[in-house]
Amino acid sequence: MHTEKHHHAFEPKIVAFVCTWCTYAGADLAGTSRMQYPPNVRVVKFPCTGRIDPVFILRAFQKGADGVLVSGCHPGDCHYMAGNFHARRRFTAFRALLDFVGVDLNRIQFSWVSAAEGGKWVEVVTELTERVRAMGPMREFRELDMEEHWSAHVNTPELQAVYNAIP
Amino acid sequence: MLHSYRRDDTIMPRTITAQNLQALIDALIAANIRVVGPKRVDSLCLYAPLAKGEELDLSELPRRSAKETFLPPAEEILSFERQGASTSVRSPDLSRLPATVLIGARPCDAAAPGILDAVFSWDYQDDFFLERRRKTTIVGIACTKADDACFCTAVGLSPDSRQGSDLFLTPLEGDSYAAEALTDKGAALLERHPELFVQGETGRPLPLAEPRAAKVDLAKIKTWLDGHFESPFWGEIASHCVGCGTCAFLCPTCHCFDIVDEGSEAAGCRRKFWDACGFSKFTLHASSHNPRNTQADRFRNRVMHKFKYYHDKFGRTLCTGCGRCIRACPVGIDLVAVLEDINTQG
Amino acid sequence: MNQTAQNLDSAPLVDETYYAAVTEAIRAEAARLLTDGRVAAVIGYVAGRRAGSALPAVITTPERAGELIFSPACRNNLSVYLTKPKQDAVPKGKLAIVVKGCDLRALAGLLGESQIRRENLHIIGIACAGVFAANVDQSLPLSEATIAKKCRECTVHLPKEVDFMAGTLPMLPQLAPVEAEELARLEALTPAERWAFWKEQFSRCIRCLACRQVCPFCFCTQCLCDRNRPQTVENSVRPAGNLSWHIVRAMHLAGRCAGCAECERACPMDIPLNLLNRKMAEELKERFDYEAGLSPQEKGPLTSYQEDDDESFIK
Repeated sequence: MHTEKHHHAFEPKIVAFVCTWCTYAGADLAGTSRMQYPPNVRVVKFPCTGRIDPVFILRAFQKGADGVLVSGCHPGDCHYMAGNFHARRRFTAFRALLDFVGVDLNRIQFSWVSAAEGGKWVEVVTELTERVRAMGPMREFRELDMEEHWSAHVNTPELQAVYNAIP
Repeated sequence: MLHSYRRDDTIMPRTITAQNLQALIDALIAANIRVVGPKRVDSLCLYAPLAKGEELDLSELPRRSAKETFLPPAEEILSFERQGASTSVRSPDLSRLPATVLIGARPCDAAAPGILDAVFSWDYQDDFFLERRRKTTIVGIACTKADDACFCTAVGLSPDSRQGSDLFLTPLEGDSYAAEALTDKGAALLERHPELFVQGETGRPLPLAEPRAAKVDLAKIKTWLDGHFESPFWGEIASHCVGCGTCAFLCPTCHCFDIVDEGSEAAGCRRKFWDACGFSKFTLHASSHNPRNTQADRFRNRVMHKFKYYHDKFGRTLCTGCGRCIRACPVGIDLVAVLEDINTQG
Repeated sequence: MNQTAQNLDSAPLVDETYYAAVTEAIRAEAARLLTDGRVAAVIGYVAGRRAGSALPAVITTPERAGELIFSPACRNNLSVYLTKPKQDAVPKGKLAIVVKGCDLRALAGLLGESQIRRENLHIIGIACAGVFAANVDQSLPLSEATIAKKCRECTVHLPKEVDFMAGTLPMLPQLAPVEAEELARLEALTPAERWAFWKEQFSRCIRCLACRQVCPFCFCTQCLCDRNRPQTVENSVRPAGNLSWHIVRAMHLAGRCAGCAECERACPMDIPLNLLNRKMAEELKERFDYEAGLSPQEKGPLTSYQEDDDESFIK
């Protein structure tokens, strides 16, 4: 199994789960205002942070994300009144679970970004992207995905030894 | 038949010391042969590849059976990758499966692969299973202890049954084993390392285990099963089954599997992995009809498959009496009690 | 992970007469209820074939009430049989159920989540000294060497607000809180060390789903993880999917799990599943001052909120 060689500089993949009414609009504002920020973020739009199932964060990492951002309306401003209040509690719990299982919480960021806060969007995304860039790729889930049961290995032991010898 | 059996009584008995058994394992590993045997993993014992001879742990029955040597809990059967407008599909090269020696398989585990050969070479030659079988030499070992869940004697086996073993070890006094080759593969293993398998009189064998389960009349049970598909018996004994897959997954002879595509449209693979008839959705149709809608129905299927259907089709009982299902069932369902019940009813 | 006997004391913790008394009380109450037609069935424990074993049973006639027992082998959380996926196991109508303190906490949770109605239950509580751990020789007496980890830290030996209390509690010694110590040890590790720990544990998982099937709170008739449109969790038996499965389950139980630890006992691979649930319970207690199962609650900590909830982790 090859370890990753940095033939070119690492570009982190950041997935952002955002709410339509606040953060998405804020990101939109950043765009129309021609604010520059790293292009690493992939935005997934939800009606509300209350709709964001914690398992989506898990899926994002499994599918290759190096960092995940979850962002929505400020408390009190939720378009659906209380969605972000529920999200706040849910993610408090989920962060503790991820930390306990051994996921580095520095790869996950939560934020409140309103429709008027184009600048804050840029700030939050840039900060997370640069932090994750310094941390390097999220190897844990990728390596985990490559693990097979010993009897499912088709390689012969010699071949395995050859693979293991590759630095 | 995958193996040719031979019994040559003119061959001198052979003995191998426990120390030399470890040396044998080390020698096989050095020759790039994978050695799988009971090994301590955390708080339990499992059949797993050994890195060295001293890892072999023959003190207790491994928690899982040895079937995963031939039927992995999950394996890739093909992989695909989209390349431009087309998709490439690759199958694993089964000729690259490693030569393996399964060492320390208890009779209940050693007998199972032979029973499964029939279903894996019936309407389809399942090379995922059969190639692993061809490449594996099974070294069985007799049992000197049993607990009250063991019932190999009730299903036609015994603590020293040679069934399914290529080479069979019988524990002797003085920390050694009598070694008996039963097939060409077993003889080949002996001939590889004649210095480790000493010829001459064997020592005294240690007393064999005595499983307490009473012998049941399997033919009588089968006849009862033939006529009692619809019976309140199934609800009485198994309504409290919670429908997990523990019994099926630990069982040496259960072999059902599911096939699922995993990954994405861009790249992924098709996997084959263990499934259990105890799961409520096992027979759920796309129409949402479920012919085995209650847990009693599902448990009935388990017993029927093992003690009737497999016999109808292949002439074998799909059970080796290892007792794992009994030990591990979270709600105390006891297959011996079920068989004894049927035996009395019939 | 199972506790190994090591240097643990194998002296019996309680006298045999205690079990006889509890058993008698349960039998008398069950016989009474069934004879008077007060309940359609009594869900309790009966002896198994193997020495010292017990298993769940649904007793519907007064004659069979004499089969009911209580012993340290009575580990099952019977409240699982009150949930929808197990409804075929019990008859319709009012049911009597034998519960230990830990089981009652799960039952309280089910009442709070409107899965059962209190008036349909006759709760037979057990003054419980403790039950066996997984994988012990049940023909031995209950001792420090054979007792379940959860019992060492039990605070509900005497379940409250039951309809009938079976037995009186004997004197019990203080036992070292093994599980609390294990949790603290894990919490003191670095995230990378914890990842390595759980990765190893989940590589043993065979997705038998015994953890889910014995859990009273896993009562969804369509489990999220069984769906393939969308496929939330890979169902193949591999470390990757196994990890997802256990994370999702721990999250779905957060704030609901009452700590009966049946999941851990049922796990055939000795994975210390209760540590995950216990960690979540600890977090929710610390942050929202919530403890599941003390009384039926309509809303748990993750289905309610306060306007001033902590958001220090949110930018």
